[in-house]
Formats: sequence, C-alpha cells, structure tokens
Amino acid sequence: MIYELFLILPMMLIVLGALMLMLLSHREAPLNRNMLSVLILALAFGLTLSRLGEAHSVFVFEAIFGRSFIVDSFSTLFDLMILGGAMLTLLINHDYFKSRHYFDGDFFALVLFAVFGMMALSHAHELISAFISLEIASLSIYALVGYNSDNPKSREAMMKYVVLGSLAGALFMLGLALIYGATGSTELGAIAAHIAAHPQDAHTMLIIGGFFVMVTLFFKIGAVPFHAWVVDVYHGAPLPVTMLMASTFKIALFAVILRIYLGDFAALGDFWSLPLQILCVLTLIGGSFLALSQSNIKRMLAGSSVVHAGYMLIALNAITLGNFNASESILFYLMSYFISSVGAFGILSFLAAHEHKQLTFEDFKGFGYSHPYLAAMMSIFMLSLAGFPSTIGFLGKFYIFTGAIEAGQIALAALGIFVAFVSIFYYFRLIATMYFYDTPKTEQHFGFDTTTVLILLMAILSIWGGIGTALLPYLPTPDALIELSRHAITSLD
Amino acid sequence: MEITLTHYLILSTLLFAIGLIGVMRRTNLLMLFFATEILLNAVNIGFAAISRYYGDLTGQMFAFFVIAIAASEVAVGLGLLIVWFKRSGGIDLTTMTSMKG
Repeated sequence: MIYELFLILPMMLIVLGALMLMLLSHREAPLNRNMLSVLILALAFGLTLSRLGEAHSVFVFEAIFGRSFIVDSFSTLFDLMILGGAMLTLLINHDYFKSRHYFDGDFFALVLFAVFGMMALSHAHELISAFISLEIASLSIYALVGYNSDNPKSREAMMKYVVLGSLAGALFMLGLALIYGATGSTELGAIAAHIAAHPQDAHTMLIIGGFFVMVTLFFKIGAVPFHAWVVDVYHGAPLPVTMLMASTFKIALFAVILRIYLGDFAALGDFWSLPLQILCVLTLIGGSFLALSQSNIKRMLAGSSVVHAGYMLIALNAITLGNFNASESILFYLMSYFISSVGAFGILSFLAAHEHKQLTFEDFKGFGYSHPYLAAMMSIFMLSLAGFPSTIGFLGKFYIFTGAIEAGQIALAALGIFVAFVSIFYYFRLIATMYFYDTPKTEQHFGFDTTTVLILLMAILSIWGGIGTALLPYLPTPDALIELSRHAITSLD
Repeated sequence: MEITLTHYLILSTLLFAIGLIGVMRRTNLLMLFFATEILLNAVNIGFAAISRYYGDLTGQMFAFFVIAIAASEVAVGLGLLIVWFKRSGGIDLTTMTSMKG
C-alpha cells in the first residue's frame, strides 16, 4: 500500500502542483511561477530517478483500479524523459516568459496538467485509461495553443486543433468499442491472451478496431495523411507550447504506441506491416515537401518534425516484422530528436524574446556575424537534425536504419536515407543564410543566463551524443542510453 | 422480431456516420461540436450493447467515462469558442484563413 503510494508519488506531486498553481494564479504576489513549476517537476524527476535501473512491474492499486495502471521500468524511463523534457522546455523559455505579458499562473497549471496526462499515458495498461490520459493531455494542450488570445494566429491554430483533435478522439473510441466487442476486454494483457488463443484469420474486428486506435495516435504524432493541422498549429501556438508538443508530447505518444504494439499488435504483424509501410513512405515524402516549402523557421521545423515521426515509424514497422531491438532505437531517436529540437526552438525563443521578430529565413541573414556563438550552436542543432555524422542525430538515424535492414526492410531504409539527404537541403539553407550574407548589424554581446546556458548545454549534449564516446572515456556514453532503453523494454514482456 | 446486438451496432454505426458527415460538412463551429457529440454518443450505444451482450458491466462503465470526457471536451471547446467569438465576431470555419501552406 505505502509502496504503491510511493510509486505514484511523482504523478500525485504533478497534479497537486498544478492545483496549487491554479489557486495561486490570480495572486498579485511577486512569485516566479515558472521556477515554481520547474521545482515541482524537478521533485517528481528526482523521485522517479531513484527508481531508475531497478527492475519492477507493479499494477498500482489493483484492487481499486483493476489492471489499468502499471508502474514498470518502461514507464519509469518514459516518465523521466517527459519530466525532464517539460523541465527543460520551461527553463529554456525563461527569457520568453519574461518578455510576454500573457503567461500568468494558469499557463503553468495547464502545462503541469498536460505533463500529468502524458505521464499517465506512459503508465496506461488499458485502452480506456490510455484514452482518458490522452484527453487530459490534449485538452490542456488545446487551451495552451490558444493561450495568446490576442494573436489571431494563435486562436486559429487552437480552433483547428480542437476540431480535428476531437474527431480523432472519437475515432479512438470507435476503435475501442470494436476491440471490446471482439475480445470482451480493453486490458492489454487480456487482448494479448485473446490474440494468442485464436487463429490469425479470426481477428478481423480486432484489426479494424486497432486500426482506428492507431489512426488517432498517428494523428497526434502528425503522420501524413493525418498531418493537415501540424504546420499551422505549430506555427500559431506560443513557442513554449510548440516545443512541448513537438518533443515531450511526442515522447508520451510513442510510449503508448510502443506499449500497445509490443504488448498486443506486434502479434498481428502480418496485417500491420503493409499499412505501416505505406504510412512510412507517405510520411517521409509528404513531410519533406512540407518542410521544403516553408519560409518561416518555425513552420520549417514543424514540417521537419513530420519527417522525424516518419523515421520512427520505420522502426515501428521493423518491430511488427519481429525485430524487437528496433524499439530501443525509437527510444534513442526520441531522445536525440528532443535534444536537437529543443535546442533549435530554444534559440528561436531567445531571439523572439529579445528582438520581437517573425523569424523567417530573411531574419537570419547575417546572423553568423551578429550572434556568432548562437549561430554556431544553431548550426550544431541543424546538423544534428539532419543526421550529420559526429552528432547525436546521426547515431539516432543509424540505429533506426540498421534496425530496418535487420528486419529486411532495405527499401524503406534506403528511402529514409534519401529523405535524410533531402533534409540536408532545408537545414543547411538556414546555415547558409546565417553565414553567407553580409550584415550592417554589429556583433551582439553574448550574455550568460538561464536560456543561453541551457541552449549551450543542448549543443554540448548533441556533440557528446555523437563523439563523446571517443573523447571522454570515463563519462557515460550513448551506449548507456541504449542499455537503459533495452532494460526498459524488457520489462514489457 | 427480436432486437439483437447486430441491430444496436448498426444503429451505432449509422449515428457515427451521421456525426462524421456533420464534422466534414458543417462550417459552423457550434454545429461541429454537436457533430462530435453525436460521434461519441454513437460509440456509447455500441459500448452499452456489447456490454449487455457479454453480460459484463465494464462496457457500461466505459460509457460513463465517455460521457465525462465528452462533457469536458465540450466545456473546453465552448470556452475556446467564446474566446474566438469575442475576438472575431463569428463562429464560421471558413474565416480561418490567416495561415496558409
């Protein structure tokens, strides 16, 4: 009892923190709400960190909740990634929060509620609880996207996301009803038992239901043909919210996708493989076109996030073909994408806070001369996102493509590599814009504060992930991350 | 004629189709929210029918969860709709064209 309370303590802390921030939201006291929410997240992070590495798998309060919530090594690792991600997102936007007047207490309460939903998503061992957690996270994010209601773009993004998101939610419920009808249960273990007990061709209804559930999850990660909202919503949302959606929310979604796949649907691999391959091809190519045609950096990063989702779908497809090692490469890729994208968005947020610009490619002309250090770091992030060797992004892509080749998906791996070459075009366009134009602007002083130090940290992490292994023999290496992910995955079965 | 599970599922599918057409064709945001309500309630009928078929109460419990979620979705959605209406004076989807590409 006490032990189980201890296990869910991080989640309780987040909810209580969110409620507290909500109560404090209209107090006039000089209160740094950003730091307060970071403190709450850090406490939960520390508590979760103490469990890292010990193998455990407990259904929390099984007498009350049934088998709907599980705490295992897998969820612990994802909790750490989600909490760390939210913490870094809030910290790196420190300057941005100060420069805009509309970030009051409610904003941080909503962020914490969203984080709670994401954590619950990684703990869900039952489709109804997965849906409820997904809705908790989504509803908070709907409100966050439209938070700057003075900006028509923000309002429009919010409305588009709400309308399409609630349609996607209804599809999830339809799929759930079909799965319930086919198996008589929505608990992942019971569904797996049902799949094992019946012949492969008796699963039509289950497969159709699973298809609808997956459509919703693919909608949320922005896979093409369900991507219509991605660029507009990412563009319209305030920068911190864009960061939260692009990195942290995606991590949580892959937590639930991996759990459902490795637990249940991988057993139906014969059926899943073909739709997933089509989805991969569409997402990789469609995302590239989306990213190529943008002139605003935020929109370009949004388009390229679709491509990155496509890479992870390649690994998901390798899982359905029986190469379970590919799930580690998804985890590693999530981390590497997180580091590089938070860094890149962090620089955008730093510039938006200090110079109030639209942040198009035009604005970055001569950036290499006016902000030499930030430009160098931006180049590192772009190289890492493009998957250039000696950055963490390269290793992430390397693991994904090896996993795909091991599963016999040579053509998909080749397409992925081709798309990575295409992505060099739009990422290097930014680097070229920064360095190849003269500027009348003089060099700006590089000051150390929370935002810039964290951007620097992200840049160092990107490089460490790529070459740290050779240079610093006594520090933990990317292999440690892979080891950690492998350990987490084994707790699933 | 006896009413079986199939009839309920057909009803549920029909309602779902109506809701889906509503989401696709309507441009009035309020009507869009109605349509998503129809979608969720169609699923509820399915849940209740299947739960009766199996003699298993969990399905009806799920229906209650869905009602709660639908309510909170509408609460958030209507709140956002009011913000939208205050600032732009209309609730038509076709006016949302400030971002392209």
